[in-house]
Amino acid sequence: MKKHALANRLLQIVIVLFGISFLTFGLTYIAPGDPVRAMYAASGTIPEDEIIEETREALGLQEPFLVQYGNWLLGCLQGDFGKSYSYNKPVVELMLGRLWPTLKLALTSLALMLVVAVPLGILSATHPGGLVDYLVRGLTFVGVAMPNFWMGLLLLYFFAVKLNWLPVVSAGQGFDKLILPAVTLAFAMAAKYTRQVRTAFLEEMNQDYVIGARCRGIPERVILWCHVLPNSMLPLVTLLGLSLGSLLGGTAVVEVIFSYPGLGSLAVGAITSMDYSLIQGYVLWIALIYMVLNFLVDISYTFLDPRIKEMR
Amino acid sequence: MKDRQRILAVICALGMLISLAGCGGSGTEKNPKEEARSASTEEAGGKHLNFSCYQYSNSIDPITNVNASWCGLRYGVTECLFRFNEKVEVETAICDSYETEDFQTWILHIRDGVQFSNGNRVTPTVVKESLDRLYQAEADKTGNSTPSQYVTFDSIEADDAAGTVTLVCTGVTVNLPGILAYPWYAVVDTSVIDTQVIGTGPYYVTNVEENSTMDFAKNPYYWDGEVPYDTYRAFLTTDDQGSMKAMALQSGDVDLVENIVTASDLEAFKEDPAYYVSTTAGVRLGNTYFNYHGVLENEALRQAIQYAVDDETMCNVTVAGLYTAGCSVLPSSLPYGYEKLKDPFVYQVEKAKEVLDAAGIVDADGDGFRELHGDKIHLNYLAYSSRNLDDFAQAVAISLEAIGIQCTVTVQDYDTALANQSKGNFDLITSNATVVPTGDPTGFLGNFYSGNSDTYGYYANAQYDAAYEELLTATDKERQQELILTLQQILIDDAATLVHGYYNSTMVSAVDRVTGADIAPIDYYWITTNIAPVQ
Amino acid sequence: MENFRQFVKEYPAFTIFLVLALGVVAVAVFAPVIAPQDPYEAILANAVQPPGREHWFGTDKMGRDLFSRVLYGTRTSLAASLALVAIVMAVGTLLGLLAGYFGGLVDGVIMRLSDMMISFPGMVLAIAVAGILGANMTNAVIALSLVSWSKYARLSRSLALKIKSRDYMAAARLTGSKTSHILWSYLLPNALPTMLVTGATDIGSMMLEIAGLSFLGFGAQAPTAEWGLMLNEGRAYMTAAPWLMVFPGLAIFMTVVVFNLLGDSLRDVLDPRCSK
Repeated sequence: MKKHALANRLLQIVIVLFGISFLTFGLTYIAPGDPVRAMYAASGTIPEDEIIEETREALGLQEPFLVQYGNWLLGCLQGDFGKSYSYNKPVVELMLGRLWPTLKLALTSLALMLVVAVPLGILSATHPGGLVDYLVRGLTFVGVAMPNFWMGLLLLYFFAVKLNWLPVVSAGQGFDKLILPAVTLAFAMAAKYTRQVRTAFLEEMNQDYVIGARCRGIPERVILWCHVLPNSMLPLVTLLGLSLGSLLGGTAVVEVIFSYPGLGSLAVGAITSMDYSLIQGYVLWIALIYMVLNFLVDISYTFLDPRIKEMR
Repeated sequence: MKDRQRILAVICALGMLISLAGCGGSGTEKNPKEEARSASTEEAGGKHLNFSCYQYSNSIDPITNVNASWCGLRYGVTECLFRFNEKVEVETAICDSYETEDFQTWILHIRDGVQFSNGNRVTPTVVKESLDRLYQAEADKTGNSTPSQYVTFDSIEADDAAGTVTLVCTGVTVNLPGILAYPWYAVVDTSVIDTQVIGTGPYYVTNVEENSTMDFAKNPYYWDGEVPYDTYRAFLTTDDQGSMKAMALQSGDVDLVENIVTASDLEAFKEDPAYYVSTTAGVRLGNTYFNYHGVLENEALRQAIQYAVDDETMCNVTVAGLYTAGCSVLPSSLPYGYEKLKDPFVYQVEKAKEVLDAAGIVDADGDGFRELHGDKIHLNYLAYSSRNLDDFAQAVAISLEAIGIQCTVTVQDYDTALANQSKGNFDLITSNATVVPTGDPTGFLGNFYSGNSDTYGYYANAQYDAAYEELLTATDKERQQELILTLQQILIDDAATLVHGYYNSTMVSAVDRVTGADIAPIDYYWITTNIAPVQ
Repeated sequence: MENFRQFVKEYPAFTIFLVLALGVVAVAVFAPVIAPQDPYEAILANAVQPPGREHWFGTDKMGRDLFSRVLYGTRTSLAASLALVAIVMAVGTLLGLLAGYFGGLVDGVIMRLSDMMISFPGMVLAIAVAGILGANMTNAVIALSLVSWSKYARLSRSLALKIKSRDYMAAARLTGSKTSHILWSYLLPNALPTMLVTGATDIGSMMLEIAGLSFLGFGAQAPTAEWGLMLNEGRAYMTAAPWLMVFPGLAIFMTVVVFNLLGDSLRDVLDPRCSK
């Protein structure tokens, strides 16, 4: 039964990936603009029409759509996502170079968010109606409604330019260059997660076993830390996995603002310069990573929660 | 109960919001803690410079393309046989003397003792190999630089014993030193070129973080004086609109930046004594080409556009002095007789409307926009965001709407715009180009010669063609000047192109850390040995 | 009148946010009346002036009145996000109902499509689609619709399944009602309230996404008065003219807050089980 579900899940991933690949390839196929011309223009020359035709033939761009799609898909399966026109480099190499910075950014912002959201969520759950509760609720309203690009600009303005605490240019290595982009990303997430932690915590506190424990005279502190906390954190695992996935694809705006050399800014650049193979590769990669993460989250969930295991 | 809580929460949110807004309005005073991180200038192990610049290319190999060859020179890695001084005159560099009798056979003497940054000697043979490689790459398309655009050689011969290279040009080439000062012709060490681009400049590349930073170190064998910094790091940005470079300088992350592109930032630096702003009258023309294979073939329409656009305000206010206004395609700062030119189309909105009315270009259907022969005029204005060109395009479109001409600006990336330009898919398209790439405007004036104006809007004028053809073969300096003046005036009278102004290159440095940071008028040079730490 | 007063008493929050939201709508509708100046009229010589008596929010780089532009921006943002929500709601609900009602192959195809969209970070695809189709507001709305409909489809599918099992549905089918009639008269009215609430709560986040696309340059194009675009234009002037980025940002933020809260309180009104 379990094995069957697993296989089913994997099959689903393959189908979805297939669909995504078809969609992106189709879109770039019907897109206006001429990649061959863009390719030459990128190198600073305006070639004759014959040369353009020759190149088009050499690149196989004269073939019918399905043949082109098939060739491309075959290449992808062998790990060859083609070559980026604008960088004149294999797509895979480019993406690998940008993956780690984006991953670093995503993980840092997740960690930062947890540091804020978990204590705040617990505080507001244990003291409902208190000052912290109202503050947290207010903050979540701000966090959800604040455009992250505006947030990024404001942070940049105050902390990097006005107060001069942090560097402006997020180039090169070093942790300090991560802080502002990570805070920007963490802010909106923290709002969502604080709410989540609060609800989960409240729900857990109303469980029968908590009431039972109280009756048995187990100290409140022990109940909170040893039972309620671990159990209420469980749903967070799923959410965290999902957030990591969407962060990998959702950092574009922030990366652009802070000129952070990650996957997102690579993608935005690829789109403005009509670098189709890079766009296709990027979309497919993100889809794959996102789905693998979801899959892992699902598996880990069954391991973490004995109740689910029993149900199966 | 729940409602009350929610309202309270909203009040909390509003409170936070107001405090945020309050911060936003606070003044623009500078932070005194400026010094905190400027220690970067004296990092362990010697003198270090932090520099921020726009990334035009991720290659510095002269054969790659125009931008890559420029980057090599700008970063102070490669050098040419000749170079331009601050008056855009050619000076000797790796070549220390030359002789020619017929302007076709040139004998260049290679300076003794010049070494590449890896210690290899620059011999005539290496110079020949470097040039051969450049032309070979063009021929077999392994590179996109097109050196034969300026000169082709019948033969290149090296004589290591005499220390000379003998170049035989295909035709008479009066301006060969100027051409060889163009970044394409930079000398590289061909023996190691497969692994690294090694030049003779004051610095060499030690590390590259793709699209992020480049590290450089002092060339220990540099031939032309002391190299002031032991190392420098270039922070590359591809943010061509934001104030990244300006903010990095203001916050002390870097000590030096090239070309601040935001008018208000430049103003702020000029007013602040903590920064030195070097501005130079540019050799770059900012203009808009008209497409003659479209409605703009109509002369009255072009004239009206010239009347309707207020170049002075656009240059001084919209882009706050980043450009100097002018009417001719050749900058007023260069010695090509700007003051003798007559501009009949000085800014006069009423005159623009008169010209249109007189030509029958009126708004007959009452939709607020004029028609030409009954068809509504809707101009397709392409722009790219480099060097404030999109600002110009928007300002022009606004000015045209004011005289009842509909105009839509589309901002594209440079490559796309260029492709559309070559296909003729535009009514107007912005451009910013160096008009004297080799110290001579002939090549640029060729953009309006009917033989090659295809990619610049198909301008054609028999009188212009005749004068241009004569200029190509003229060797008499005075006659050249006359012809260049005639060509300029023809373009003005024809309302052939909309000249916005001349780009002023800038370089801004923090005065407490860097000295000698002056920008050259011809912008092949950024990092030079003149830029040094404050003692 | 008495009913109205009682309603207000019972749902004070909803009333307040409804009034605020109507205020935003009013600003959009009456922008030409309220705005002190033409948002597109540029006096180049008056560029980048700080906020003052003549220009409350200052002027932008083309010398346009920022206050008027922010007011007009309400029109653009509101129109685009309402259109977007309407599209995804209509498409999503319809597809979901069809899938739920018919089941089988129809269900399979629609739901696999929806899986495809949901198992993917939406913004990435939206950016790609908007960028590839060409940057303008219509394409931005299309791109976001493409990635947002699946949530509605899932919701309405589950509603359809629930309703389908009710007795009166069986009765309707037995008496030989036409399929379209069943869909139209039974399924839709039952699903609509939930769908509307979901739609209303989404207005705010849709607004953010549209502004985000415009900010990246894949949405509204100059000289349109649109908040995201205005923020992007103001970005270059961050240090010297911060008002260019503060006011459009505030406008987005406040509007989104209002619509988010309206959505939340609407849920309480329509779904009494939630309110304590």
